Amino acid sequence: MLELVAIILGGVVTFVTRALFLVSKKLRPPKRVERYLPLVGPAVLGAIAVPGILAPRGEISLVDTIPAVIAAIVAWLVWGLTKQTALGLLAGLGLWWGILGVLAALAVPR
Amino acid sequence: MTAPDLPLTEEQRVRSARRAALRAGGIIVVSYIPFGIAAGAAMGATSVDPLVSILSSPIIFAGAAQIAAVQLLHIGAALGIVVLTVAVINARHLLYSAALAPHLAEWTLGQRMGAAFLLADPVYALAAARFDVPDGGGGDREKRAFYVTAGLTCLVGWTSLLAIGIVVGGFIPAWVPFELAIPLTFLLLTLPLIRNRAGLVAAAVAGIVALVADPLPLGIGLMVGAVVGVAAGVVVLNLAERGARAVDA
Repeated sequence: MLELVAIILGGVVTFVTRALFLVSKKLRPPKRVERYLPLVGPAVLGAIAVPGILAPRGEISLVDTIPAVIAAIVAWLVWGLTKQTALGLLAGLGLWWGILGVLAALAVPR
Repeated sequence: MTAPDLPLTEEQRVRSARRAALRAGGIIVVSYIPFGIAAGAAMGATSVDPLVSILSSPIIFAGAAQIAAVQLLHIGAALGIVVLTVAVINARHLLYSAALAPHLAEWTLGQRMGAAFLLADPVYALAAARFDVPDGGGGDREKRAFYVTAGLTCLVGWTSLLAIGIVVGGFIPAWVPFELAIPLTFLLLTLPLIRNRAGLVAAAVAGIVALVADPLPLGIGLMVGAVVGVAAGVVVLNLAERGARAVDA
C-alpha cells in the first residue's frame, strides 16, 4: 500500500511540473521570454540525446563513441533527405549494428 | 477547381491530424520496444508489487522517474525520498509546460489539465514540431486531435511495453545491443525542432553540458544541460538579431 502511495505522490508532483504554466492563463512566461521558448525543445531533447550518442554505455571511448556518432550522422542525413523519423532510425540503428558486427568479427574488444 | 484542389473540411483535417499523430506516436513506441521491455524486466526483478510497477506508467508516465521510484522502493527508501527524486528527475517538464502554454492558450482548463497529464518527453517533441510553425498546427480541434492521439498512443504503448517486460522479464538476450535506440530516437525528435542556428547551438551545448554534468546525482545533469543550452541559444539569438539590426541601420 505504501508503494502505491509513493507512486501516486510521484504522479502528483510530476503532474504539477507539467501543469504549472498550463493551469492559469495568468501564470504565463513573461512576453520577453516567450520568444525564447522554441529553444526549450532542442535544449532538453538535445540533453537527452547527445550524451547517449557520445557515450552509449556511460563513458566516452573510441570503440563505443565513433560507431554511435557515425550512426547518428547517417540517421540525421537520412532524416534530412526523407523527413521520415522511422527511416532515419532504421538507417542509424542498422548501420550501428553493422559496424558492431564488423568490430566483433575483427575481435575488437568492446 | 478540380477535386484535389478542394479545401479540406474541418472534419477531414481532424481525421488527418489523428492519423499523423497515430503514425508519429507509433514510431516512438516501436523505438521504445527494447528500452521499455528492459525497463520492465528490471522493475520485475525488484521486490515491488508488479501491479504497482505497471501502474507507475499511467500514474507518472515518465520512464526514468518510474524506474528510479521503483528501484528506491525496492531498497526501502523513505516515501519522501521517492517523491523528491521523481520531482527532481521530472523538473524539466516545467520547461515543457512553459513552452507549450502559448499553443494551448485557447483550450479549456480541463483540456489543458488533460494535456499536462500527457506531457511526457516524446509527446512534447511531437507537439512542438507540429505547433511551432507559422499556422500554429491548424485549428484548435485539429491540434487537440493531434495532441491527444499522440499522447494516448505513447501512454498505451509505453505501459504495454513495461507490462510485457515485467511479465516476460529478461526477454532480450544481454548480447543484443540496443543502447543507441533511445538516443537516436531523441536525436530524430530534436531535429525538426531546430529551426535556426540558435536552436542548433542550444541542442549541442545542452548535450555536451549534460554529458559533462552526468555524474551529478538524480539525473540533475540533464536539467543543468538543458538550462545552459537554452542560455547559449538565447545568446546566439540576441547576437543574430543585433547583427540584423546593425545591417538594417
